[in-house]
Amino acid sequence: MSLVTARGLVKSFGSGAAGRRVLDGADLDVAPGELVAVLGRSGSGKSTLLHLLGGIDSADAGTIEVAGMRVDRLDERGLTEFRRDQVGFVFQFFHLIPELTGEENVLLPARLTGAGSVERGRMLLERLRLDGAAGRLPHTLSGGEQQRIAVARALVNGAGLVLADEPTGNLDSRSGVAVLELLRELARDERSVVLVTHDAQAAAIADRVVELDDGRVRPG
Amino acid sequence: MTRVRNRWLLHPRRGRGIVAAAGVFAAAAMLGTAITVSFGLATGFDRAAERADLPDLVVRFRTDRMEDVDRRIRALPNLESRSYRLEVRDVPVLGRGQLRRRTAIEIAGRGRRGYAVVSGRDLSRDPGEVVMERGLARAWGLHVGDSVEVGRLGPLRLAGIVVAPDDVAFPLISRPRLWISKAGLRIPRGASAPVNNALVWVRDPARLDATLVQARAVGFGLRDLRIATHEGVRVLVDRAAGIVIALLVAFSLVAAAAAGLMLGASARADVERRLATVGVMRAVGFSRARVAGGYALESAVMAAPAAALGLAAGVLAAYGPTGHLLDVLSELPPGRALALPLLAALLAVVGLVAAATAWPAARAASRPPATLLAGAELRRAPRHMPGSGTPLGLGVRMVLARRARAAATVAVLTAATGVVLLMLGLASFLSRLQDDPGSVGRRYDLTAKLPGDRAGDVARIPGVAAAAPRYVAEGVDSFDIGEPVKLIAFPGDHTRFEAAPLASGRRVRADGEAEVGVGLADALGLRPGGALAVQLGSGTEARFRVVGVVRAIDNDGRVAYVRPRRLLGADPALAPTIAIRLAAGADRAAVSRGLEQLGAGPQATAAATTRNARFLGVLAGVLRVVALVNGLIALYALAQALALTAMERRSLLAVLRAGGASRRTLTLVLAGSALAVVALAAPLAVLAERVLLAPIVARLAAGYASLPLGAGAGEIAVVLAGLALLAAAAAALAARRVVREPIVAGLRQQ
Repeated sequence: MSLVTARGLVKSFGSGAAGRRVLDGADLDVAPGELVAVLGRSGSGKSTLLHLLGGIDSADAGTIEVAGMRVDRLDERGLTEFRRDQVGFVFQFFHLIPELTGEENVLLPARLTGAGSVERGRMLLERLRLDGAAGRLPHTLSGGEQQRIAVARALVNGAGLVLADEPTGNLDSRSGVAVLELLRELARDERSVVLVTHDAQAAAIADRVVELDDGRVRPG
Repeated sequence: MTRVRNRWLLHPRRGRGIVAAAGVFAAAAMLGTAITVSFGLATGFDRAAERADLPDLVVRFRTDRMEDVDRRIRALPNLESRSYRLEVRDVPVLGRGQLRRRTAIEIAGRGRRGYAVVSGRDLSRDPGEVVMERGLARAWGLHVGDSVEVGRLGPLRLAGIVVAPDDVAFPLISRPRLWISKAGLRIPRGASAPVNNALVWVRDPARLDATLVQARAVGFGLRDLRIATHEGVRVLVDRAAGIVIALLVAFSLVAAAAAGLMLGASARADVERRLATVGVMRAVGFSRARVAGGYALESAVMAAPAAALGLAAGVLAAYGPTGHLLDVLSELPPGRALALPLLAALLAVVGLVAAATAWPAARAASRPPATLLAGAELRRAPRHMPGSGTPLGLGVRMVLARRARAAATVAVLTAATGVVLLMLGLASFLSRLQDDPGSVGRRYDLTAKLPGDRAGDVARIPGVAAAAPRYVAEGVDSFDIGEPVKLIAFPGDHTRFEAAPLASGRRVRADGEAEVGVGLADALGLRPGGALAVQLGSGTEARFRVVGVVRAIDNDGRVAYVRPRRLLGADPALAPTIAIRLAAGADRAAVSRGLEQLGAGPQATAAATTRNARFLGVLAGVLRVVALVNGLIALYALAQALALTAMERRSLLAVLRAGGASRRTLTLVLAGSALAVVALAAPLAVLAERVLLAPIVARLAAGYASLPLGAGAGEIAVVLAGLALLAAAAAALAARRVVREPIVAGLRQQ
C-alpha cells in the first residue's frame, strides 16, 4: 500500500500564449519507507510536483492522497493541519531564520504550531550531530550544517513524508553527500522521502528514480 | 528606453502599492487638515479685514455731537477718510419669534462701513432696512428678506448679512450687532447727529503710530475715549487662533516627517527586494540616474492621486469646523485661496515620496551590477535576538531585528500618540473651561444677587460652607488709556473663593494692595512693588500697590484681586453678588430654595468663558478632528511597518505556513511585531506629552495662565487601548495579506 498516491495531476502557469502546462497528467506512488528521487531538466515541474504533494500549492486537476487523506479536497484549515502533522519540507536555500540559533530554528515549528515537541527537536539535534551548531546563528554555519538544521526542522513534527527540493543544490559535494546520507537514513526509519534533484549522485541513493518529462512521470 | 523602463518598473504590485498609497493618503489627509485650519486661521483676519475695508483706527467715546468730533478727527495727520456711527445698546430685537435685549444697534452715516456683506446687500437709503452680523443671523436662522423688529423702529427688512472683523461675533460677544442707516431715523434737518464711534482710515499705514499719538491728543475732551487699531484687533483675535495654528504647524511637520520616514523605509525595502532588477537594468546600460529616476517616477505616479485624495479628505474634514471657528471670530473662510497652499502641499508630498524612493534606488544602483545580480543585500549580518519561541515572541524578534526601522516606527508612533494625547487633553480642557468653574480657579458654586451685608444670612443656610460678597468693577488703566482692567474684590482672603496660582510676590493682606494677573502685569509692566491706578466707569480713580502676580485665565489675565474698601470708596454705588461655596454633599436644590426665601435668584457659577461656549466647543471639535486624523497616521505607521516586515520576511512566513502555521498563528506573529513597537512607543508618548508637548503648548496658549493641559488618566487609558486595537487591526490586515499570497511565491525568495 502506498503512502502517497497521485493521479492525473495537471498544473499550468500563465495564460494565453505565455501559458505553460508543467504537469500534464502526472502520476506518482510512494510506499512507506521508500526514497523516491524525481529527476528532470530545469523547469520540468519537479518542484511543482513536490509543492502539490505537500499541500502548499493546488493542482488544476487530478487527485492526491497522502496517508489515506485526500489532499486535493482539503480546505485551507485542513491543508494547514495536513502540513503541520503529515509533511516535512527541506528546501534548496534552507530558509533558516537568520536571527535564531540552530536549535531555535529546529524548535520553531514545535513552539509556533505545537507540532512535535521540544524534546524531539533536541534529540534530532543530537542524532544529526548538530550539537556544535545548536547555539550558533545560521550565517556562521557551513552550508551542510545549515541544511542538516533544516532537515531537523522538517522532522520535528514527526512527519511521515519528507519532501526535499534540491537539498544539495546549494552545497559543495562533501556536504551534499552528508545530507543525502541523512535522507537515506530517514527513509530507513519508515518515513517516505521524495527527493527532487537533477544531481545523478543524489539519484544514486534512491530506492527508485522517476523522471518528469513533458509533464508526466516516467520510470527513470 | 523610457517606455521600456516605465513598463518594467510599473510592474503591478497591487498589494504593496495600496499600502504605500494608503500611507501617502493618511499623511496628505493630515496635511490637508493642518493647512485648512492653519491657513484659514492665519489669513482669516486679513481676508475679512480687506473685504470689509476695516478702518485703521476705531475710536469709541461717550456720545457727542458729530460736528465736534469731526472737527477733531479732521485735524489728524495722514487722514484718508472717516465715517461715524452712533452705537445704541440694549435695544430689543425680535426675529423669527426670538427676542434679544442685549444688542448693539449701529446707526451708520454716510461713508465707508468697515464691514463685509456676505449675503444680500448693504443698507440703502430706504429707512426700512437693517443689516445684521452673521453670528446672530445664523443663531436665529434668519435670511435676507426676513423681517426683524428693532425697538421702536418696528419691523425692518433684513437687507444683508455682514461680517465686521473689528470685533468677534455673537455668541463670542454677548451683544450682537445690527446696523441701520441714519436715513432711517427722523433727524430734524440742521440738527447735529449724535455719534460715539469714529472709523478712521489713514493714507499710509506705516505712519499709523504718529496718527495714533495725535488721535489721543485731539481726543482730549472726548470722554471715555478708547482707541482700537487694526493691529490691536488682529492681536486680540489671533490670540485665540494662535495656539491652534502653532499646534497644527508643529503637527504638520511631525506628519510630514513620519510620512517621509515610513515612505523612505518602504522604498528601501522595495529596492532591496528588487536588487536583481536594478542589477539587470544597470547591466543593460541604464545609468544610475535613470534607475533612480525610474523609481522616482513610479512612486510619483502612485503618490499623486493618493496625495490629492488625502488632501481633499483633509480639507473636507476640517473645512466645516474651521468655517465655524472663523464665523465666531468674524473672519471669512479661505475659499479658493486655499488652492495654492494645497497645490504646494501636493507637490511637496509627491516630491517627498519620489525622493524617498529615488535615494535608496540610487544607492543600490551605485553598486557593481554583478553584486546586484548575485542578490547581495544592503543590510548587515543578522544579530541574535533573544526572546521566547512563541508566535508573539517571534514577532518581537522579527521587528527588532531591523533596529533602525523599529526605531523609526517607534519615533513615528511616539510623535503621533503624543500629539493625540495632547489634542485630547486640550479638547477636554476646553470642555472643562466651558462648564467647570474650578478650571479657572473659581471655588464657589452659586452666586446670588443680594446686598453685601446679607452674606451672613446666606452663610447660615444649611449646606452653605462659606459666603461672601464679590465685587466686580471694570475700568481702564489710568496711565495707559484703553488697557482694560477687571477688578475683583472679596472681603478677607479671596483665595477661599477664587484662587489663581501665585506667579510671584504674595497674596493681598490689606486694603490698598492688589494681586494682578500676568496678562495685566505684562501689558502694563507691573511687578510686585509697582502701582496700579484704575479709572473706573464712574469716572473716579482707585489706586493700589501691587503685591503679587497671579496666573489668572479670566479676562485674558487682565484682572486684579483687591479688597473692597478702596474700590467702594472710589465707586460707592458698586453692587456685589454673593459668592456661595457649598459644603461637600450639600443639596444644591435645598440651598437654592433657601436663597429664594432670602429674595435672591441663585445662579450657577459660570466658568470664565461660558459666553464663549460655542467657540470653545468648535475649537474642541477641530482638535478632535485633528486627533482622529492623527490616529490614522498611527495606524498607517503600524500597518506600514508590518507590511514591510511581512514583505522582507515573506520567505520566513512562507516557511512557517509550509510547516503548518495557521492564519491565527501568523496574526499572532505579526501582532508580536506590532505590540513590540507599541510597547516602546506608548510610555515614550505619555512622557513626551507630559514633559514636552503639554508644557510648550500651555505656554504658547497663554503666558498669563497656568493651564492644566496634560491628558488625564482616562484619556491615556483610551489612547493606549486604541493603540493596542490599532496593533491588532494592523496585524490582522497584514496576516490577511500574507495568507493571500501563495506559499510557493514566498519560498522563491532566497
